[in-house]
Amino acid sequence: MIEVSHLSKSFGSLSVLKDVSLDIRQGEIVVLLGPSGSGKSTLLRCLNGLEQADAGSVRIDSVRIEAMMRAKERKKAVHELRSLTGMVFQSFNLFPHLTVLDNVIMAPMTVKNMPKEQAVEIAERLLGKVGLAEKRDEYPSRLSGGQQQRVAIARALAMEPKIMLFDEPTSALDPELTGEVLQVMRQLAEEGMTMVVVTHEMKFAQEVANRIVFMSEGIIQEEGAPEHFFAGPKTERARKFLRQMAQEPV
Amino acid sequence: MKLVMDNLGFLFTGAYYTLLITIVSMFFGLFIGLFTAIARLKGNRLVAGIARVYVSIIRGTPIIVQIFIIYYGLPDYGIALQPMTAAYISLSINIGAYLSETFRGAILSVDKGQTEAALSLGLTPWQTMRKVVLPQAARTAIPPMGNTFIGILKETSLVSIVTVTELLRSAQLLIAQYYVAMPFYLAIAIMYWVMSTGFSAILNVIERKLSKAY
Ligand SMILES: Nc1ncnc2c1ncn2[C@@H]1O[C@H](COP(=O)(O)OP(=O)(O)O)[C@@H](O)[C@H]1O
Ligand SMILES: [Mg+2]
Repeated sequence: MIEVSHLSKSFGSLSVLKDVSLDIRQGEIVVLLGPSGSGKSTLLRCLNGLEQADAGSVRIDSVRIEAMMRAKERKKAVHELRSLTGMVFQSFNLFPHLTVLDNVIMAPMTVKNMPKEQAVEIAERLLGKVGLAEKRDEYPSRLSGGQQQRVAIARALAMEPKIMLFDEPTSALDPELTGEVLQVMRQLAEEGMTMVVVTHEMKFAQEVANRIVFMSEGIIQEEGAPEHFFAGPKTERARKFLRQMAQEPV
Repeated sequence: MKLVMDNLGFLFTGAYYTLLITIVSMFFGLFIGLFTAIARLKGNRLVAGIARVYVSIIRGTPIIVQIFIIYYGLPDYGIALQPMTAAYISLSINIGAYLSETFRGAILSVDKGQTEAALSLGLTPWQTMRKVVLPQAARTAIPPMGNTFIGILKETSLVSIVTVTELLRSAQLLIAQYYVAMPFYLAIAIMYWVMSTGFSAILNVIERKLSKAY
């Protein structure tokens, strides 16, 4: 369903992704692990066109985006990619000037020209699903971080994406609030959503992922089933990473 | 005092024109300012360059010179404008340049994550600007916009020089008629002051309304 091939990306002289290739099947839960600065976010952002790669290509379903594309074609492809993917950010990025409900209905109404009643119906169902139905008329600033992130998940789901991308969704949260967000993500996983998750939540990775992809210095160092990866990482880098994670759980 | 009272109607007409010029110029200045700000931020090199030069010229020259160029200069090229039209045009262009700086700062102050979230949801860059960035920028821009507005309310007195009978010129005409100055100048000073503080109050209300989400 997702096919990343030979993707490279530099920021100035800093090479952040080096010839990265990765295939993800429908319904798969892939957790991206790796030390900070290893290119995980950049890879994720290439999947929905927030970053433009210098070389290589990304294909999701039938939408293909290549580094060497003309601006106009690229624009169209990026737009299609974004209709297939939903993204959840570390810093939630809810729209502070809109109520919770308006945060969720805005994109369906703006992008799909969905009538308001229908958008509200979908939004109420999704807010119920993330356990925040009663917060629909609040502004984001009145919610806890965990609640904000759950709204952000509902907001992304309202566009009915086939794939959800999570970039450290719990890293900005107080430890006691991470559980409620991870719970929503588990539920999504059980429902068969295809998910690519960057996280430092090792327990979540172990229990929910179908596959662990370990990145370091812009390269996929190793990948495998979580039971194999956590029991016996093949590379020294991954062993070191896991030791550090065990010492100072983020 | 009696002289002022007797001519209050005339002074109010002047005040009306002062307000009219302020509001009309502000209205067009708003669009010019927004357009210029977006041109500078999102335009290609040429468009952004033109916008930058425009802002630089307006900010680097006295407003009275700008008014003279429009009213006395343009007729040399066969463009003779009514005093009111010249006032609207010169002030709109002036306000546009100053507001574009305000808007540019306000747009830049909106967190990049907001744009990214909107784009990731499938909004086009233009929809993102309209639905996400500008509403948040507006909140930041309102207080300095209020200052610009009140500034312009006072600057309108300059167009009296091109024979627009706004508040200041109304007073000057009365002074020429009655040979007393102080009561009329005091009267219009009070009228300017009432209008400025009135607008400040209105702007405060708007600002409070806009920030209720935060
Ligand atoms: N927009 C950018 N401009 C310049 N450097 C960037 C930008 N985005 C990321 N980087 C750099 O690229 C590297 C990889 O970043 P990132 O993909 O965010 O890593 P990770 O998510 O694994 O921590 C880091 O060194 C980061 O500083
Ligand atoms: Mg990151």
